[in-house]
Amino acid sequence: MSIETATRRPVVRSGIASFFLPGLGQFLLGERYRGGGILLGFVVMLGTTVWYGKPLWYAAPILIWLWNIWDAISLANGRARSILLPLLFGLAAAYGIGWQVVEIDFSKANMDRALAILRPMTRPDFVQPRREVNQMWVPVQVPCSSQPPAARREDAGRAAMVIPDCGGVGETLIVNVTGMWADAETNVFWQNPIGNPLMLGEGEITMLTLTTDENGSLTTTIRVPSTALVAAPDPTLPQFHRVYFEQYRPTGGYELSFIGNEVLKGALATVSMALMATGLAMLFAIPLSFLAARNLMSGNPVTYAVYVAVRTLLNILRSIESLIIAIIFVVIVGLGPFAGMLALALHSVAALGKLYSEVIEGIDPGPIEAIRATGANWLQVVRYAVIPQIIPPFTAFTIYRWDINVRSATVIGLVGGGGIGFLLIELIRVNNMRGVSAVFIAIAFIVIVLDYVSAKLRERLV
Amino acid sequence: MLKIQNLSKTYPNGTQALKNVSFDVQDGEFLVVIGLSGSGKSTLLRCINRLIEPTEGKIIWDNVDITAAPPAELRHIRRKIGMVFQQFNLVKRSSVMTNVLSGRLGYVNPWTSLLGIWSQEDRQRAIQALDRVGIADKAHSRADALSGGQQQRVGIARALMQDPKLILADEPVASLDPVLSHSILQYLEQLNKEGITVICSLHFLDLVHRYATRVVALKDGVKVFEGSAKEIDRAKFKEIYGEEAQEVRAASL
Repeated sequence: MSIETATRRPVVRSGIASFFLPGLGQFLLGERYRGGGILLGFVVMLGTTVWYGKPLWYAAPILIWLWNIWDAISLANGRARSILLPLLFGLAAAYGIGWQVVEIDFSKANMDRALAILRPMTRPDFVQPRREVNQMWVPVQVPCSSQPPAARREDAGRAAMVIPDCGGVGETLIVNVTGMWADAETNVFWQNPIGNPLMLGEGEITMLTLTTDENGSLTTTIRVPSTALVAAPDPTLPQFHRVYFEQYRPTGGYELSFIGNEVLKGALATVSMALMATGLAMLFAIPLSFLAARNLMSGNPVTYAVYVAVRTLLNILRSIESLIIAIIFVVIVGLGPFAGMLALALHSVAALGKLYSEVIEGIDPGPIEAIRATGANWLQVVRYAVIPQIIPPFTAFTIYRWDINVRSATVIGLVGGGGIGFLLIELIRVNNMRGVSAVFIAIAFIVIVLDYVSAKLRERLV
Repeated sequence: MLKIQNLSKTYPNGTQALKNVSFDVQDGEFLVVIGLSGSGKSTLLRCINRLIEPTEGKIIWDNVDITAAPPAELRHIRRKIGMVFQQFNLVKRSSVMTNVLSGRLGYVNPWTSLLGIWSQEDRQRAIQALDRVGIADKAHSRADALSGGQQQRVGIARALMQDPKLILADEPVASLDPVLSHSILQYLEQLNKEGITVICSLHFLDLVHRYATRVVALKDGVKVFEGSAKEIDRAKFKEIYGEEAQEVRAASL
């Protein structure tokens, strides 16, 4: 009987202790770290739930508290409970809170909008059918002078005229063209004296498109555009405007579209940007890497101080993402690939400097000793024992960096650093999803090809 | 004749690798240095061509004090002292040919050598050196593509390029199996018979008995024995290698 009470007492005592303060029971039983850990976990969990204020998640601290009492009682009976259970409670609560903080809400998904973007993306704007153009125009005076010249013009078997010969803004004119391609879609549009095209279709925002008859003739009425004289220095001064007739027909084959051409230029700019940045970075990183190599610099306190300073500088530079450095350079040298190149170069100096210095730290001292033993001088030792050891890994790391820089260069354009990223952000702004899709494909292509090439080259070097 | 007089070496961390070591090496000898790992064998060999600067003492070779030689003269002396290493110390990524040619660096014009330009004569010499150690066909392989025994033969060919009067061999066979050990040591023995003095550190006593014309033993940086290999009896052996040592034979070939 007395033995039983002796064992019962610590059980009850530690259970009660942990009831009032989580972990106290364990602490009193000598498990100080366990007790402290439980208290800390409970406080953090409770604090988080209180701060977040969702009643549901109070379940987590309560469950931990209950488990803690159970654990204290078990511990007094000589058997510790696995901490897996409270960890699971904590993790469940953390993910639950995380779910709400991230505002996960699948009902927000709007499939119509998604399709509006994705559908044009299935037709990347890269090439277009090759076509020839048949263009004809006729001059017309706006506004009318006292004696307007005839609004007629003949050219290469085609003839066009406007009746009457002149008109004011908003007036109706009859236009006629003959000798064009037969049964073909024809765009009719206005061009003001400084060469800007103006639309003649519905509300002056759509292209007026008509079809010629079997003889290649077309007659229609148009209204002098309301904006025809906006650019004129003096709207009362009669000037010659033009009415254009334009037909296209495919000639077979494909050619680069305007966007496709821009994408190619952007891709080239991106790859060159990365190439220039890597080259520039290499020039600076090589000397710095020698200063950042522990085995060369740990000789005396002065060189060691230089080593620590260079290492620290490289580490700080390396920790700043090139995208952020680019924002600074865009301010300094203006928008464009130059800013992006400088940003990539600065970041790469730090990254390459560290990699190079690790190569130097890892060279085998054996050959150096052997070449010295042949009676070679210092330069010969460097040439025959050091350089052969560092050139292949240096080259491999430089190619690897170029590979990384191309990937960064595609993104750096988003902050104004030029290249294909700049084109991408412009296309997104004007909602040209076909162009965006062409850019995506180009980026994927560049990255995959470069990844492969760089892997193959590096394979040969190591 | 090489005279080593009261040679001592203390490393910056306080380790005393050599303590007042003196002995003479006659021209044409095959002198073997024995002793436990850490007894100072490598330090001793490296002091002779001053890859390691001795703290005290003198090394006089053919009446020239190596220890007092200024840098240019030291390089001049070094080119007559070939060296063979336990780890071969080849530039692994370079070709066998380049590794062998580099043995000639002390003789050639330093500027053309920096550009990697070698005379036809030197190339011929390199092929001959490789031929002597039986691997002329490997001249254009990368050094690390060769087996251990072949790499050590490249090491010997590199030393041969120096046209040496003395070869220092720092445990040349410790990284090789017993059969290859004999093959490598036979090359050194052959060179020795042609008049090149050899100073070689070795581990296995049966190899010492087989090749050494004379033996110097070091223990904790102190010379504890000097004489012919036959004089190393059981008691001497225990003295050199300690009470618990058991003799291990390389192979009974």
